[in-house]
Amino acid sequence: MTRVNAELLKTVEASGEFNAVACMNCGTCTALCPLGLTNLPREIFRDVVLGLEEKVLANVETVFSCLLCRMCQVNCPAEVKIADNVRTLRVHLNKTLHHL
Amino acid sequence: MKPETQSRIGIYVCHCGGNISDYVDVAQVAAAVAQEPGVTISRTHMFTCSDAAQQEIIKDIQEQKLNGLVIASCSPKLHMYTFRAMAERAGVNPYQYVQVNLREQDSWAHTHHRDEATRKGIALVKAGIAKSRLSEPLVPLRVNTKPRVLVVGGGVTGLKTALALSDLGIAVDVVERSERLGGWVADWKKLYPTGQDGQALVAELEQALAQRANIKVHTQAKVTGRSGNLGDFTIRIRTPQGEQDLNVGALVMATGFAAYAPLPQEFGFGLPGVVTLPELKKSLSRGEPLQTSDGRPVKTLAFIYCVGSRQKKTAAQPQVNTHCSRTCCTAAAHLGLNLTGAYPALRQYHLYRDVRTYGKHELIFGENREKGAVYVRFDEKEPPVVSTEGAQLRVKVKDTLTRREELEIAADLVVLVTGMLPRENAELINILKVPVDRNGFFKEIHPKLRPVETVMDGLFIAGAAQSPRLIGEAVSSALAAVSKCGALLKKGYVDLEPMIAVVKTDKCTGCNACLGVCPYQAIEKTVCDGRDQVTVIPFSCKGCGACVPLCPENALDVKGYTDEQMTAAITALAQEAAV
Amino acid sequence: MAFPIRHLIGILADNQRLRGSVMPLGTGRLTAWAKGLSLPRGGSRVIYTGHMYQMMPSLASMEAGLGLMADTPVTRLMGWGRFFNRFVNLSFFLTWPSGRQQAQYDLRLKKIAQSLRQAGIQFGYLYEKELYTGALVYDLGLDEVFKKHAQRVWAMFQKHGVRSVITVDPHTTEMLREVYPKVVPGFQLEVKSYLEVLAESGWTPPQALTEAVTLHDSCIYARTLQVSAQPRAVLAKGPLVDSPDHAGAATHCCGGPAESLYPHKAETVAAERINQLAARGCDTVAVLCPICLHNLEKAGRARGIRVKDFSEIIG
Repeated sequence: MTRVNAELLKTVEASGEFNAVACMNCGTCTALCPLGLTNLPREIFRDVVLGLEEKVLANVETVFSCLLCRMCQVNCPAEVKIADNVRTLRVHLNKTLHHL
Repeated sequence: MKPETQSRIGIYVCHCGGNISDYVDVAQVAAAVAQEPGVTISRTHMFTCSDAAQQEIIKDIQEQKLNGLVIASCSPKLHMYTFRAMAERAGVNPYQYVQVNLREQDSWAHTHHRDEATRKGIALVKAGIAKSRLSEPLVPLRVNTKPRVLVVGGGVTGLKTALALSDLGIAVDVVERSERLGGWVADWKKLYPTGQDGQALVAELEQALAQRANIKVHTQAKVTGRSGNLGDFTIRIRTPQGEQDLNVGALVMATGFAAYAPLPQEFGFGLPGVVTLPELKKSLSRGEPLQTSDGRPVKTLAFIYCVGSRQKKTAAQPQVNTHCSRTCCTAAAHLGLNLTGAYPALRQYHLYRDVRTYGKHELIFGENREKGAVYVRFDEKEPPVVSTEGAQLRVKVKDTLTRREELEIAADLVVLVTGMLPRENAELINILKVPVDRNGFFKEIHPKLRPVETVMDGLFIAGAAQSPRLIGEAVSSALAAVSKCGALLKKGYVDLEPMIAVVKTDKCTGCNACLGVCPYQAIEKTVCDGRDQVTVIPFSCKGCGACVPLCPENALDVKGYTDEQMTAAITALAQEAAV
Repeated sequence: MAFPIRHLIGILADNQRLRGSVMPLGTGRLTAWAKGLSLPRGGSRVIYTGHMYQMMPSLASMEAGLGLMADTPVTRLMGWGRFFNRFVNLSFFLTWPSGRQQAQYDLRLKKIAQSLRQAGIQFGYLYEKELYTGALVYDLGLDEVFKKHAQRVWAMFQKHGVRSVITVDPHTTEMLREVYPKVVPGFQLEVKSYLEVLAESGWTPPQALTEAVTLHDSCIYARTLQVSAQPRAVLAKGPLVDSPDHAGAATHCCGGPAESLYPHKAETVAAERINQLAARGCDTVAVLCPICLHNLEKAGRARGIRVKDFSEIIG
């Protein structure tokens, strides 16, 4: 059981553009990822939207291993700016977790 | 019955350009029946339906003084009306024309048995001749229609129906059960997509209504009786002022919808802070702020969708609402968006099964998400659970979009997005004989091609009483019903098929066995010469024949298909088969 | 976690902040490629290397070291590494790029400049004044460091009167064309990749090329910058250019961007891509980006595939 928390998304949005709400969970991104990342981007984005912070923190490696190759982004039917969102998440994690 | 000797029947066997003559020897058929009693002339044509062939037949009819016609060609579905019209032009009663289907029922069915096909063709034509010999001239039933319509229901659908009928010059009586007009919409503010005020919209309609001399509004009114038929109904209504009879040519049923009322405990219904969407909309429309049950401002709002809609039958709950109410997803998204406008810090969670913001409404769904509403999808098998913890509501839900993560939402207010149900109208439905579907909504004849007509001639349906609808959709169907009323009433009369049931008064014993079987309530009890009998209401009967075989006394017949005619036709067929 | 990425990112951030680049190299190493070309100093239009080619041998050497350390107790010492790196440029000691590799990367830059000249393009070079764009710190989400650095880069362009640049790799091109205008107020610069400049000029390689190549598109060129027709146009008269499955906007990543933090993941992706490229049957693969070059080169060796920079095909 996880308590939803709207504050996380607000904090992330303070680090840059984050348009994950348009995601409709179709899975195109997962299917196309050359790294075979399964929980990025849609699951982590959803964790951010719902405020499941511990889930996000359990996936820092995934967030930083994304190649930003944009294969997912140009093919996203909901026009989610996936790679830009990943970068925003990195900014957020660098600030809050890495204190950089 | 007409003496056979007077019959002067013309027989026309069609080649159908080879469709028939490739497999059936049409010349042989024509020759074989030429000597049948009552047959005056027997010919073949390449295409009987062609203008030239029709001219020849008309000439034959006039020169030979024919009084019956048998055309052996295609299915009557294709050319029955063609040849009926030809017969009428030539001065023969169109109902004394018999079409024998030599194509679908013979040549096309027996392409590998030419001789047998020809034999069958002869038998079919002989049966047609036997039927024709006993045919009687019939005239269509003419109803003089009353240029007045009763609209049942004074919501937006009913009012718009009344105004549009008035525009056509048709007088209208509107009967409304409650004290005021406008229905649901009168309680709403900000309508999608214009943002127009619902109360203002109703006021606009009422103002227009007041300008019309040919619209009469009866509030606090109840329908208590019905008699008559298509074009000429008498409807009895009761108002606080007393009872009165309204004589109208047609009825439009616009009784609208009722909101689903959740059962106690259903999604926490009954807990403080758990409200239905209509309740919340009403409260906000009254100008009340968005607040918890104990008056605190709402920070987090949870919507639960599909409450009372798309239910699955279970042993415990056999009576459920299986339909999708289709309007609620849009209504909830629209309310969410309005609330975001009024309370920018408000957090919204929309717990849904499937989002059905169809067509242009998809935009409002998208906008609501973009403005921050979070949509969480649950599985119908694991619905959200609502409980309380102190003054706080807790909604637990498994989100299928997030690995079925069990989420807990601390909500200040839970809104149950309830669906649309038909209104409780059992008495009205019984009096007016309105057909209903399995969910209790009014039922049309054909969902695509005859969407506002019912099997009851002269009774039309419109709006959310027929199925869940948005205002625009309800008004569209209202206008469709208006056009059907106009088409029915503007000419002043309507001609109906004369092939209806008749009672042989000498045989009927008044056993009433036929009463229950008539789908159109066209048979009534009566007393004839002091004896109990039944009688057929001519304008209500559609000649379906359901009553005929039930009569133990053979006291019922359908004109144009009398027992005598059918027996003669069958006998002729049987004789040919025995040869 | 294979690596304490916090410290690794920290080192890169400190380098960028303190020394102006994630991989601080001496100016001699950065400008060596231009020796003998007599490129005019500065000018309104310059070739802009963004240091990517020059950095590759050092990055390769550092990654080799990190690759050995990955998943070992040594990673625990990374925090100390970052601490010392603030005072002493550790990359200077940690990375021992081979001279041969350095020379190869320099030659590629040289060939780009020569091809541009053959095409009749006039341009200068900023030599030791040229700065790294900060592409890696941007990608890693080190926005504060990046923004400050980007201001410095813009000031450098303004100071030298540069109005137009010819870039040589996709990352630098993307930074200057797509990212800088968003983060640097008043930024205005014409940015074109040498591939675009060559294709626009209509230039084709003068010498007869006979060897067929399979072209690997760069993610950033193909998907973000819409550069994929240009290299094919330049080679139109030359050898057969064959495209693999996943070409153009659907190109498959080389794995390179994961190199600095997750060397093992980068290897897996590169091996998969080399398989796709090898399936076309050509022994030579041409690439458009130094990161692709570095990453696919290693994977290609195992499959007997030669990976060449585009500049080596045309020059």
